[in-house]
Amino acid sequence: MTTTTTALAQPASPLKRITRVTKLHFANPWTTLGLPWIILGVIFAGSLTIWWLIYSALSPEQREGALEGTEFGGSSFFIFIYMMVVAIQAISITFPFALGYGVTRRDYYLGSALAFIALAVIYTTGLTVLGAIEKATNGWGMGGTMFAPIYFGESAPERIFVTFVLFLFFLFFGSAIAAVWVRWKATGVTMFFIIVGALLVGLIALTTFTDSWAAVGSTLVDLGVLGVAAWSLVLTAISGFAGFVLLRRATPRNAA
Amino acid sequence: MTPTIEVTNLSKHFGKVNAVNDVSFTVEENKIYGLLGRNGAGKTTLMQLLTGQEFASSGTISLFGQPPVENAKVLQNTCFIKESQRYPEDFRPKDVFKTAPWFFANWDQEFADRLIADFRLPLDRRIKKLSRGQLSSIGVIVGLASRAPLTFFDEPYLGLDAVARQIFYDRLLEDYATHPRTVILSTHLIDEVSNLLEHVLVIDDGKLLINEDAETLRNRATNVVGMKTAVEAFIGNREVLHRDGIGGLSSVTVAGLSESERRDAHAAGLELSPVSLQQLIIELTRTETKEFEASA
Repeated sequence: MTTTTTALAQPASPLKRITRVTKLHFANPWTTLGLPWIILGVIFAGSLTIWWLIYSALSPEQREGALEGTEFGGSSFFIFIYMMVVAIQAISITFPFALGYGVTRRDYYLGSALAFIALAVIYTTGLTVLGAIEKATNGWGMGGTMFAPIYFGESAPERIFVTFVLFLFFLFFGSAIAAVWVRWKATGVTMFFIIVGALLVGLIALTTFTDSWAAVGSTLVDLGVLGVAAWSLVLTAISGFAGFVLLRRATPRNAA
Repeated sequence: MTPTIEVTNLSKHFGKVNAVNDVSFTVEENKIYGLLGRNGAGKTTLMQLLTGQEFASSGTISLFGQPPVENAKVLQNTCFIKESQRYPEDFRPKDVFKTAPWFFANWDQEFADRLIADFRLPLDRRIKKLSRGQLSSIGVIVGLASRAPLTFFDEPYLGLDAVARQIFYDRLLEDYATHPRTVILSTHLIDEVSNLLEHVLVIDDGKLLINEDAETLRNRATNVVGMKTAVEAFIGNREVLHRDGIGGLSSVTVAGLSESERRDAHAAGLELSPVSLQQLIIELTRTETKEFEASA
């Protein structure tokens, strides 16, 4: 029988330490990649059915422009909100797990951030392809709009940018919420939303009392979809940084 | 050479609660340590401190000569399996065993496969559908197959039946013989693990009560059984840890006896028997509590 004293591991390279956490988020792709596309598919199938019902009930002359209103539809919005949920779930569940495997909080967070950027790329690609098909087939042959609504911009590059930036925002906002959850559980998240809510109400009050709604409106119009999307990057960066700072002092606990 | 773990005056307070209170000890390389104590004694907090999951209020910790907090170089040599360890909900056991090798340089897949068969763990079932015992066996398998130079098991066998627990002890000992490493095992089931342990740390109310070689500890006390008068005559002013009696018979647990004292006892017609580690720890912690209360 040979006895080999367990040697200390050679330190893994920093990149490897980070990417293995990234891979961990995709080890079972059901939550991050499977379920969201399935739900999106179901919503799409539902929309197609409704469009078809409307379309077939109309005479050929009436069909022209009948589904124009769907340009302002929000049926693909769910996917953005859902990405926030995915980020919250991913962190709150894999954080205690990964730390047991001897991962540092820093490597964990950087690896997770990389996973979120990868998710944003994957979903942006998906929505872009579907949006392009939608445009090319003149709204799935019926003039309907689901994947390329007007708020995502008018040209394909615009839509790609806006979609990507929105995904980033929701994923990193989710990671900040998850970090609050991991550290302070339900009490913390409640406090977090009370504070965010108070800030929003404060901003609304400030705008109202200074009579600057018109100015806000014109600024938003001036910025345009692209400008507003670009500014969201500031919030994304703040969320991402806050998540990092909070998680670095967090301790995994069992109880919810 | 540097001890695997060196802890000096370590304390952790949560508000007014002293979960770990001024604890100092060292852990030597390639030994199996038992971290014993009652519920809420501070075992888990101590393990979390050692693995950098919890932040110390004061004192220092060194693992392989370095502080563990956020230290990838040190932490990648550790594996910490917690009581009711949580796994990502949509994972199946096979996802756990697919990802674990990414994190442990010494992972042994063959050993893992053998353990999976030993524990009869279904690989394809979702984590949330597994029983408590099956969940625990995942942790035990990861902890063993990872072969981390420093492995922590915190009450790893919640819900495991006696057969499965015995498999765990057997495999741990076998594998430890061929791949020596440092293991820290926290448990309530002291008698079950008592043959496994080489060194015992007992923590109570955040304080380290006992830090002793298991062999020395086992010799620390003896049961003396016989006629009440003979027993009383023999023990004299000795420190009595525990006293029991029925009618004219008496059974007394006393602190360690020398060879000549043993001979005297036999000559007096008394029967001597070793005290189980569990019994001993119960009695020692009880005594210390009493002493503590008396001095308070």
